[in-house]
Amino acid sequence: MDDIEELCDKVISTDLLIVGSEGAGGHAAIEASKSGIDILIVTKGKIGQCGASQMAGADFNVDGLAGKELGFEGDERDSPDLFFETLVREGLYLGNQKMVEKYVEYAPKAMKDLMDWGMKIYSYESAHTEEMARGIISSGILWVAAIRKKVKELKIPILEDTMVIDLLITEGKIAGAIALDIISGETILIKCKAVILATGGWHRAYPFNTGPEDLTGDGVAMAYRAGAELISMEMVQFCPITMVWPPKDKGSIILYIISEVDPFGKTIKLLNNKSERFMENYDPTNLEQSTKEIVSIASQLEIEEGRGGPHGGIFFSLKHTRKRFMDMLIKVASHRIKNEMKDTRYEFTTLLPELLERMKTEDIEVGNGAHYMGGGIKINENTETSISGLYAAGECSGGLWGAVRVASACTEAGIQGKIAGETVPKYVKSVENSVINIVQVKEVLNRINAPLLKEDGTTPNELQQKMHDISGKKVGLIKNGKDLEDGVRKFEVLLENDLGKLYIPSSKNKKLNFEWIRSIELRNMLTCLYISTRASLLREESRGEFYRKDCTHTDNDNWVKTIVIKKKDGKCDIRFEKPIITKISLPQGKLTYQEAIGVATASLKRD
Amino acid sequence: MEKKNTIKMKCFRFDPNNDKESHFETFEIPSNGAISVQNCLVYVRENIDPSLAFFINCRLGFCRRCLVRVNGKSCLACTTEVKEDFMVEPLLKEKVIRDLWCDGL
Ligand SMILES: Cc1cc2nc3c(=O)[nH]c(=O)nc-3n(C[C@H](O)[C@H](O)[C@H](O)COP(=O)(O)OP(=O)(O)OC[C@H]3O[C@@H](n4cnc5c(N)ncnc54)[C@H](O)[C@@H]3O)c2cc1C
Ligand code: FES
Repeated sequence: MDDIEELCDKVISTDLLIVGSEGAGGHAAIEASKSGIDILIVTKGKIGQCGASQMAGADFNVDGLAGKELGFEGDERDSPDLFFETLVREGLYLGNQKMVEKYVEYAPKAMKDLMDWGMKIYSYESAHTEEMARGIISSGILWVAAIRKKVKELKIPILEDTMVIDLLITEGKIAGAIALDIISGETILIKCKAVILATGGWHRAYPFNTGPEDLTGDGVAMAYRAGAELISMEMVQFCPITMVWPPKDKGSIILYIISEVDPFGKTIKLLNNKSERFMENYDPTNLEQSTKEIVSIASQLEIEEGRGGPHGGIFFSLKHTRKRFMDMLIKVASHRIKNEMKDTRYEFTTLLPELLERMKTEDIEVGNGAHYMGGGIKINENTETSISGLYAAGECSGGLWGAVRVASACTEAGIQGKIAGETVPKYVKSVENSVINIVQVKEVLNRINAPLLKEDGTTPNELQQKMHDISGKKVGLIKNGKDLEDGVRKFEVLLENDLGKLYIPSSKNKKLNFEWIRSIELRNMLTCLYISTRASLLREESRGEFYRKDCTHTDNDNWVKTIVIKKKDGKCDIRFEKPIITKISLPQGKLTYQEAIGVATASLKRD
Repeated sequence: MEKKNTIKMKCFRFDPNNDKESHFETFEIPSNGAISVQNCLVYVRENIDPSLAFFINCRLGFCRRCLVRVNGKSCLACTTEVKEDFMVEPLLKEKVIRDLWCDGL
């Protein structure tokens, strides 16, 4: 008999394991620490220096009345009910209304935490909705710095540069997890009663994306492998006006951010390769000021119809403005960034002035980068998943947003982190540790070690290339049934054949072995892509951020339902679920895509 | 106008587990449009030698962990543009875990 303690290089016991240290994970840890239970945070990077949170704009949302109570200008015409209604209506009714209620209720509480922890705030303004001022503007850097400081102050134990690989489940309950120290290559067996997954999205599964290197869908994929339900995996948001060129700046959304701010917003032109201001054909009234979805789709249609630039984008132009105006813009922007905001972010202090200077004479090529994952691990309003002891918070979770991420994802991370931190200690105190299943541990270790033992096969670089070829072409912003079908088939082959052939040619040493880590991440990215493509193929309509060129209607008669997927006997088990309703009933009827998102536009299907 | 050319990167290599001492290896990187030190390192890892160790996360100056020395000067690999041949070394040679990745980044 093997001794379970000897299978891994190290063994750690705790009550609660939190995977991910940022907006959601960090907030959860701070909240849960109030209960006195043992906590361990494990994060793939360093706290405050990884994940999407550090890169966020970042805006937080609270309703106008709560805004006033928090000491901002606020808006007395607003109310929690109105905020709730906006979220449900603009999410095109797919959101779980119990979760939306909790979002509205907890948004001011999570905001107050951040203010108490010393997060600096730049301003208060409307960010996501024009109707009411609901935005509190800070920056991702300031946000994660406040969380990091508090976590350190509370001396919450944390393992950094360490990756959780799989969850261990015994009799349907969390028993622990296996992790890998990326630097030393050592495996760690973590025994615990509960796990909060706060691992963010799977941005790196797409060749063109806005996210950091550590976002490879690990949490979502490991939850799926453990048997948890996933929801709305087809809802992937692409950010328009993301830089595609030059390589140094690829993936930056700085031009998207300034396009939302006056006086830039009203001045910019988006052009195709014929120098046509193509938004005139899609939304002649609002032009570049149209919704994020319409701008994305219109740009992508131009690119797909051959009117894009040499690097697969369209052009962001300010060339039509006078030099004097550009000089004024540069002066105003740099004064605000350097003197008023005292911002230190490279994109603002260095890249933006550089780009504005260049834009006096040239246009910048921009496109749609995979940006935010609207679906993920299915949770309820208390962040509980379908597995006892397993919770999820932040971007890796799903169910809150419908078909559009209507409001702040930073707020989502905070409120769900806070709720998880409140909920989990009660569970932890009510259960005993589960016995770890040795067979499961061996299976996981054998699986991750297999590529190190092989002498030939497919390299992680080769498999990544194949994956990006498919995700870039078949499950981009504009989808269609034929490509999706093809995508499903191709991902299936990669999952069933190519993954098993992976080998690590460069070194068999486990220390800081990038190729080995990538081999583990590839399984997770492919799992997320496969499920997302399956769900996209099922949804035969277009809704919000989900657009299918072969089904351009929003079909409220058949599709006001979510797609829920879990693993059963090694295969995807699919079911449909009506969104949970508390106050707003679900609509009926078939609408054109534009009617549904409430924008009067010319046809999006230009021939 | 875009110019296609090649940049030579002289790169510090050291694996304390296997090597007695460090050495330099020169890689040729095709450059087309503005590229950063990090673009060059990624190119090597994806096309020439996947064992090259260096830190990468946000690619845009947020995480501040990709510190290296370029021609002797410390800088972030992702925000430092290179236009001609250059030398890249770890921030602190005495703290190297492998190649350009140092303890304490
Ligand atoms: C460039 C950019 C700009 C954005 N701007 C805005 C904005 O202005 N407003 C807004 O509302 N939203 C914005 N978003 C979205 C928002 O930032 C994210 O949705 C939110 O920060 C997610 O927080 P999170 O804690 O859930 O995940 P993340 O911040 O992504 O953190 C995930 C954590 O999990 C860790 N992790 C992942 N896998 C593992 C593993 N296997 N083991 C251990 N740890 C793991 C990571 O290292 C990291 O610590 C932006 C996103 C991007 C990419
Ligand atoms: S990779 Fe984050 S600062 Fe360079």
